Amino acid sequence: MLVLKVVALDTLVGSLIGDEEGNVLVKSLSPSTNINELVERALKLEDGEVTEDFIKSLRELVNTYGDQVEVVVTDDGHARAASALNIKATVSPENSALRRLRNTLITTLISEGVVKSEGEWVSFLNQVMIQATRIKLRGFAAKRDLLAIQAIRSIDDIDKTINLFASRMREWYSVHFPELDDLIEDHKLYATVVYEFGSRDGLSVEGLRKLGFSEGKAQRIYDVSRRSMGADLSEVDVERIRDFVGVILNLYDLRDKLSEYLSQVMKEAAPNITELVGPTLGARLLSLAGSLEDLAKMPASTIQVLGAEKALFRALRTGGRPPKHGVLFQHPEIHVAPKWQRGKIARAVATKLAIAAKADYFTGRFVADKLKKDLQDRIAEIKELYAKPPAKPAPAPEKAKRPERPPFRRGRRGRGGR
Amino acid sequence: MIEVVNIKPHGKYAGVYLVELEDGSVKLATKNLSPGRRVYGERLYLYEGVEYREWNPYRSKLAGALLKGIEGLVLSPGSKVLYLGAGSGTTPSHVSDLIGEEGSLYAVEFAPRVIRDLLRVCEDRRNMVPILNDARFPQRYSHIVPLVDVLYADVAQPEQAAIVNMNAKYFLRGNGHLYLAIKSRSIDVTKEPDEVYKSEIETLVRGGFDVEDVVHLDPFDKDHAMVLARYKG
Ligand SMILES: C[S@@+](CC[C@H](N)C(=O)[O-])C[C@H]1O[C@@H](n2cnc3c(N)ncnc32)[C@H](O)[C@@H]1O
Repeated sequence: MLVLKVVALDTLVGSLIGDEEGNVLVKSLSPSTNINELVERALKLEDGEVTEDFIKSLRELVNTYGDQVEVVVTDDGHARAASALNIKATVSPENSALRRLRNTLITTLISEGVVKSEGEWVSFLNQVMIQATRIKLRGFAAKRDLLAIQAIRSIDDIDKTINLFASRMREWYSVHFPELDDLIEDHKLYATVVYEFGSRDGLSVEGLRKLGFSEGKAQRIYDVSRRSMGADLSEVDVERIRDFVGVILNLYDLRDKLSEYLSQVMKEAAPNITELVGPTLGARLLSLAGSLEDLAKMPASTIQVLGAEKALFRALRTGGRPPKHGVLFQHPEIHVAPKWQRGKIARAVATKLAIAAKADYFTGRFVADKLKKDLQDRIAEIKELYAKPPAKPAPAPEKAKRPERPPFRRGRRGRGGR
Repeated sequence: MIEVVNIKPHGKYAGVYLVELEDGSVKLATKNLSPGRRVYGERLYLYEGVEYREWNPYRSKLAGALLKGIEGLVLSPGSKVLYLGAGSGTTPSHVSDLIGEEGSLYAVEFAPRVIRDLLRVCEDRRNMVPILNDARFPQRYSHIVPLVDVLYADVAQPEQAAIVNMNAKYFLRGNGHLYLAIKSRSIDVTKEPDEVYKSEIETLVRGGFDVEDVVHLDPFDKDHAMVLARYKG
């Protein structure tokens, strides 16, 4: 039996099957000029997906010429699609008939009246591919949310470590200079003093001034150091303390670098959220939600209490009052506001955040300017309408009886509500 | 601003112009397909009602190759071009000028960071089609790229001759041309090709190319040579 040898091509606007000379035998075109549809197809084809047109033209081929056909295609995906229809397929993108067929696409489009000229087709492709590229870029950006989440969690870990190490440092150095503990509250400054001067004999008013202390404070520290009750230390003792303190200072540097990095990544991953609430709070929200996608799918009411899961579940369990805000408390407008306004402001911020997250995840469009403006207007309104505390506090609802079932267990690591 | 004294067609390369400036210097330029717009901070010159863009050989290897007298400019109005490694669009924008409204330039680039700039260039130039993809996998863009007249490759990768061969198999028509920017450490590529360079050319020949000319881009680009080749297909 005679075997028909053909070549098959899948394209943005449909599929062509040609003979060994590259002459068109079967075509299945979807002559849509709807940019959005074409963008979708372009993205699918780039992922190696096979279009319905391709399958359709293969079916037509078999219907017309019988199944004794052998088809040459450009890649494995299309070979598999042909095999699935019991058609023998080989992959050979450089096949000359296939190359010729590729070239007839544009003339076919013109003769079919899909476009008037090659120039028209190209300017069409230009629009489709600009759009498709934007969507792909957004895809890359979307994955960057996971980097932002790791960065903010690292920063939190570093903060915890710094606190832990700083207490150790103070305790350790207090063997030598106990009075310093009360004189310098800031951990970083304390660490810098220890690192710079080592033993308290090394202190000088001049040197302390250089570290940024006022004249009076520098003098005071110096005076106290001269009559300290602490024990004397050997050089080796001091060196080991300095090694330890050096690590603390390095952690501060690392923290600065990560914060810088975080704001970069957040601007790429979630420009609207970042503009609205800043990179740190924005990243915390992503972290609590799990990803930008998860955050984008949350209603404003959930966003409002993110980070207050403990309080929320307690309220659910006991029938008490639900929390007014979780991590959003860190928003400056909320924590400086009087108590009775906080819930309302948190609600307003959460509403805008829900929109910002959706824009960041779904469209990539920058809408934060308007969101920010609306939010400010709303906050001003709240401040005006609720300038005074409510006349009398609403009575606390009666506490419901604790249910029998064991306490609710959360899947995610808790972040502590407020 | 420096005054233009004269602008005239380049004798050897059609579509390329020589801009003579007041201070005696002469610059390469192309007609601006998108008047009023710059791509990489280049100068614009208006002369007898036509706007030209200066073509900087220190920024564009193709301009460097022309100044080094490469044998032939194979781009003309209506050319179809597949450009691998389009970067932020510096050279592609001049290619876009050269091929005009009737031409088409398929610009492949895989780095998200630079493609944002490339998109801006494409928005002003409807003859450019941006493709965010890896030139090592031509099947990923085979549904939109037709057979082309010219393949331009500047992906700055060690295996780029192999990438070129693969793309040529899919997309370069018989007798179509190739411009390939090769990174080379030799002093004079035409006399003492170093190993990298030699093996790249051998790969091209195995892929069905006839090498027509090679020029070193020094002093515009100390590290590169430009190869002009023809595809036997
Ligand atoms: C030297 S730059 C190109 C500059 C550009 N040709 C010009 O003259 O304006 C090389 C570009 O190739 C891109 N590139 C490298 N390997 C690639 C690949 N496999 N696929 C697509 N692009 C690639 C790089 O991201 C980079 O932007």
